[in-house]
Amino acid sequence: MATSQMPKSILKKASYPATPTSKQDRDRELALYHADLIQNRKDIELEILFSTETLIDYPLATAPYDASNPSSADAKTFKDLLRPFQPSDYDALIIERNINERCGYTLCANQPRKQSGGGKWRMVGKYGKGKDFRVVDKKELEKWCSEACAMRALYVRVQLSETAAWERGERGENAVQIDLRDEPKSDSDIVEGLDKLQIAGDDNTRKQDTAHLALERGDRGPAARIGSVDVKILEKEIRRAPEAPSLEDQDLTERLDTMHLALEGHTPSFGSNRHRRHEEEEEDTDWKL
Amino acid sequence: MSNEEDREVKQREAGNRETARLWRAWRTVHELVQDRGYILSEAEVKISLEDFIHKFNSGDGNIEKSRMNFTAHPSDEMVARYSNPVTDRDPKPAAPDVGPIKVKFEEGDSIGIKNMRKFAQELTAESFHTGIMITSVNITPAALKIIPAVASETRIETFLEADLLVNITHHELVPKHVLLSKEEKAALLQRYRLKETQLPRIQIGDPVARYLGLRRGQVVKIIRKSETAGRYASYRYTV
Repeated sequence: MATSQMPKSILKKASYPATPTSKQDRDRELALYHADLIQNRKDIELEILFSTETLIDYPLATAPYDASNPSSADAKTFKDLLRPFQPSDYDALIIERNINERCGYTLCANQPRKQSGGGKWRMVGKYGKGKDFRVVDKKELEKWCSEACAMRALYVRVQLSETAAWERGERGENAVQIDLRDEPKSDSDIVEGLDKLQIAGDDNTRKQDTAHLALERGDRGPAARIGSVDVKILEKEIRRAPEAPSLEDQDLTERLDTMHLALEGHTPSFGSNRHRRHEEEEEDTDWKL
Repeated sequence: MSNEEDREVKQREAGNRETARLWRAWRTVHELVQDRGYILSEAEVKISLEDFIHKFNSGDGNIEKSRMNFTAHPSDEMVARYSNPVTDRDPKPAAPDVGPIKVKFEEGDSIGIKNMRKFAQELTAESFHTGIMITSVNITPAALKIIPAVASETRIETFLEADLLVNITHHELVPKHVLLSKEEKAALLQRYRLKETQLPRIQIGDPVARYLGLRRGQVVKIIRKSETAGRYASYRYTV
């Protein structure tokens, strides 16, 4: 009996990959994975660059705020933008600020102190104890407007993470928490504290939610994992005036029989369909926990 | 000679040195722009030191850098060299990726993000395709990162004055580099049955590549003198 059909295999079908992935597919996946990593890194580097650009012109708030008492808005932005920075990026920021005639400490509006006279080096600590005496580069001294600002700026610098931002893993987990040497002083400290608390919690949960949502979508890219794919949930626009649901009279009697079965407006069908499904379920439940 | 006089002489000499440096940088950058195929008059390129001082001095013996900026337009030959060939698959190729160029001599003893941003905005606003920024000091690393960030709008190249004091392509050990057009490149690959990646390579940061403003994927023909063969041509793929 010669048939054109292939004989049916009696062997059990392999349960793993229904469509075997070819070498090409695997290669593509690998290449995409690494391309994603590089893209992620480039994104972060660009973000750092733009943050630097923004922070050159800080502080935005003028008097009565100064470096020892920065405005809370400026301080918050400063801390937020500084999160992906490495110490070297922070040094670049200081240099850029100096070029624009600003004190190296981001929240200080003063001009850096100019050292008078020539020469490349300066002696520091001439009048204290012997161990305080140092010879430092003039440029180092011209970075700041005062000793205090130098302290404040370096206080921030040591808190920055040495690891590059793209290697830090999930951003939510080991995000750098930066404290200022002089936190904003405000009249309503408690209100301020409450505000901050809420904002921090909100942001973190939102990021986590986004990451979970991405996982549920089946989005496994690194950008989705750290929650940098922004998903915003918007309210549906309402075009007409809302009205309460009402029962139309004509088919009320007809619908009354099944109304108690309706699930959000949908009435499940009964009969043969349901029976069949039921049987199937009984048959095939060994994988259930 | 009194102390006063001594200082004056020194200052004048330093001023003269600075002027001479700027003049040499000016000549080299004009040759560079001309060698790339932009239209410049001979008089502009081969300006003498006296004329240069006469044209750009600010009155107190110094040169006004801000007046040294200049622009140029690509010649037809250059446009042809950069044009995309018409093929069956691509009957209407994109316009050649060249356009007017602006050269700016940047002042100041430190060049930061702000300066670079401003230059990029100038170029975009005046719709220049390429910009060359010439500085006397190193540009901060952060400012250099602006260049790829604005690459979609305008192409920025930077040179140090010190690098332009002599024209490196005039040195006898530097062979002649000729940029191939896309058609010539295709013909070359066809002739030797090569893929482009099988050619020898030249880096994009190579001094001559920077001089010619080579872009990734372009091929240059290098013509060397050879004792045995007279002339010897080799090719480099820009990476």
